[in-house]
Amino acid sequence: MDRTATPARTWSRFKFPDSLIRYGVWLSVLVFLAYTVEYLEIPLDRLLGMLGRMGSTIANRYYPPDIDYIMDADYLEYVLETVQMAYLGALFGLLASVPLGWFGSYNMTPSRRYVYPIARLIVMGCRAVHEMIWAILFVTIIGFGMLPGVLALMFFCTGFAGKLIAEEIEAIDMGPVEAMRASGANLFQTMIFGVFPQVRVAITGIAIYTWDVSFRAATVVGFFGAGGMGWYLKRNILQIETERVAAILLSILALVLISEALSAWARARVMKMK
Amino acid sequence: MAILEVRDLRARYSAGGPEILKGISFRVEADDFFAVIGPSGAGKSTLIRCINRLVEPSGGEILFYDREVTTLPGRQLRLLRRDIGMIFQEFNLIDRMSVMDNVLSGRLGYTGNLRSLFRAFPRDDIQRALDLLDRVGLMDHVDKRADELSGGQRQRVGIARALMQNPKLLLVDEPTSALDPKISREVMALIKQMATEFKVPCLCNIHDVQLAMEFCNKIIGLQDGNKMFDGPTGKMDQAMLDEIYAMEVL
Amino acid sequence: MSDTLASPVKKPTVDDIINSRRQNRAAKGAFYTLLLIMVVWSIKVTIIEDTDWERIGSLGKVIAAANRFIGIDFSLFPSLIGPTLETLMIACLGTLVGVILCIPAAWFGAHNITPYKPITYPLARLMMTLSRSIHEIVWALFFVAAVGLGALAGVMALAVRSIGFIAKMSAEAIEDIDPGPVDAIRAAGGNDFQVMIYAILPQVLPQVLSVIIFEWDINIRRSAILGMVGAGGLGLVFFRQMNTFNYHGVTSVIIAILLLILLGEVLSYFARKAVI
Repeated sequence: MDRTATPARTWSRFKFPDSLIRYGVWLSVLVFLAYTVEYLEIPLDRLLGMLGRMGSTIANRYYPPDIDYIMDADYLEYVLETVQMAYLGALFGLLASVPLGWFGSYNMTPSRRYVYPIARLIVMGCRAVHEMIWAILFVTIIGFGMLPGVLALMFFCTGFAGKLIAEEIEAIDMGPVEAMRASGANLFQTMIFGVFPQVRVAITGIAIYTWDVSFRAATVVGFFGAGGMGWYLKRNILQIETERVAAILLSILALVLISEALSAWARARVMKMK
Repeated sequence: MAILEVRDLRARYSAGGPEILKGISFRVEADDFFAVIGPSGAGKSTLIRCINRLVEPSGGEILFYDREVTTLPGRQLRLLRRDIGMIFQEFNLIDRMSVMDNVLSGRLGYTGNLRSLFRAFPRDDIQRALDLLDRVGLMDHVDKRADELSGGQRQRVGIARALMQNPKLLLVDEPTSALDPKISREVMALIKQMATEFKVPCLCNIHDVQLAMEFCNKIIGLQDGNKMFDGPTGKMDQAMLDEIYAMEVL
Repeated sequence: MSDTLASPVKKPTVDDIINSRRQNRAAKGAFYTLLLIMVVWSIKVTIIEDTDWERIGSLGKVIAAANRFIGIDFSLFPSLIGPTLETLMIACLGTLVGVILCIPAAWFGAHNITPYKPITYPLARLMMTLSRSIHEIVWALFFVAAVGLGALAGVMALAVRSIGFIAKMSAEAIEDIDPGPVDAIRAAGGNDFQVMIYAILPQVLPQVLSVIIFEWDINIRRSAILGMVGAGGLGLVFFRQMNTFNYHGVTSVIIAILLLILLGEVLSYFARKAVI
């Protein structure tokens, strides 16, 4: 590659303090990453071989997936349970996140000094803890089953939807709110008439997203005993039934793709409804 | 008898901030159509919003039917606001609700929470809303969504909503700024007609001096938070107007 | 839905309106009742019947069980430093590898620059959907099985999980670019590669960088749990504390995770400011 234009003599790509800082930052990031490879003992020399071996492992042990196993009625029942767990978790999470979103929106919160920071903190806490940790905690507290799964998904969805709903409420046009206040409406009526019609479509969209993430998480919370398909996955991994594991992973993939397709369709409908 | 009496009203947006209103006093009588004029930034909107306390005044007194407004607690304040209708510059309609629901929303102060949740307004309210929609000429648009209407039609919905409250005073905030001149005149005429018919005194912020002189019987001139003029429209002259708008010319 | 067209001449009467409102409410009521029945049924099947209420016992017992977590095992903190660092590093490397894998995905997945639309475009979209659809735990299980226990599996899992979002956002950014500079470089005789470096990259770089920072932030959250399935980091310690019933230790690990996430938030805040 030869450049057709030659730079002017006085021009330099390097500008004294700015470029130094910039290259310094990049260099330290690179050094850090190199050190990371070293620290994590990632065998770079054998990496390519490993990835090659990965192919043969999959081909030998995970193929063919045991399709009969996932067509079994017992397993399908677990699939249904997963779906129920996902939607209950999403539903309860949404029910919790609507008031939390309201209280945690700076423009509409009943009290900026007390309610706002508390609501924000709850939502942030729900978000910061990963859904798997919620699942394990609830399993430890109330034992195996669907209930801890639903609770874990509920907390996860509350964090996910609460933040988005609060942001939507903060973005509304305050005009109708002012009009409702001026007509003597109370706080609740102002929400119902001034705010809710403005965020209804957005909340429907958020609900669909919440369902997406909830279902994705529901397929695996069972891994630690919180109900659904994850439990099957864990059992077969422990028993090294690799062909069954492959089949279960395929079924998870298929279900998630179906659910994504459904929610993409629903989202398109909602956007049209607007 | 004075419907509204304002004494030495002061307002500022933040505790240490500059004063927007620097001691305004005036009286609104039963059959007044008051215009508040002045350059932008003079404090017209703040003045109007202080009266139903959408903006909290920082000092002074507001007497509405001889009742002190500035100290009313939450529930009392809502009952007061119920008696004061308001018409807005940007209409402030609920875009995604029908015209009917928008007009009915003027009755919220009289409606319980459960009824509002299901939008189950009493029969009398619906009858009144229909009558008002007929009066403002929107009978063909009852079921349309508010965002399907034109600007002039939207402001008519706003007028019907304000009258729905059965108000004892109308606050009108720049009703014509978002409209073109022909529609502006129609809207002003409608407000005037409705105010006369329902015997509601009006306090109307207006940027357009021509419209103010034409429709209003009294004028307050504001400049930079001070009252420069207060009197019948007849007493207003070009010299006074020049003085009020002096800062804007610069 | 509404019959605005049906009666342009006839003026609606109060009864019309009240009736149509009643019908509307009845329809909505029926819909929500149906929904409620469905929800109640699910609650009955999944929660009431499935749960072993005997084992849970009274509310007091549940509170007692939850109370076990209240308290911090301070003695654990020194031994958490290593795994915390490891978690952070897995997130960094995972994001980096993810970004590298993203380059072809974003290139193929932007319909204005994709090399051969009928094949490369759907291929890239499939890659993105696959990556986003599968939970990171499943990816980690997959890579643990493929490359064995350890950090490498975690890095690979995060990398693959990151492709979807970064590539999707980058592809959208590329689709939105101003075509002017592309034409300019073409007119100057630049080849495809030069067009990419000089016309496309500068336009999308700030946006792509902020997406990468966002994903890195999320990857910290994810890498903290990958250890539970054997992919290194804090998750492993968490799992060990859980298995030895050291509940105060569990709380300590959660605090370490929260601190790390907080650090991630602060760093990404500054990084985003530097980028924009």
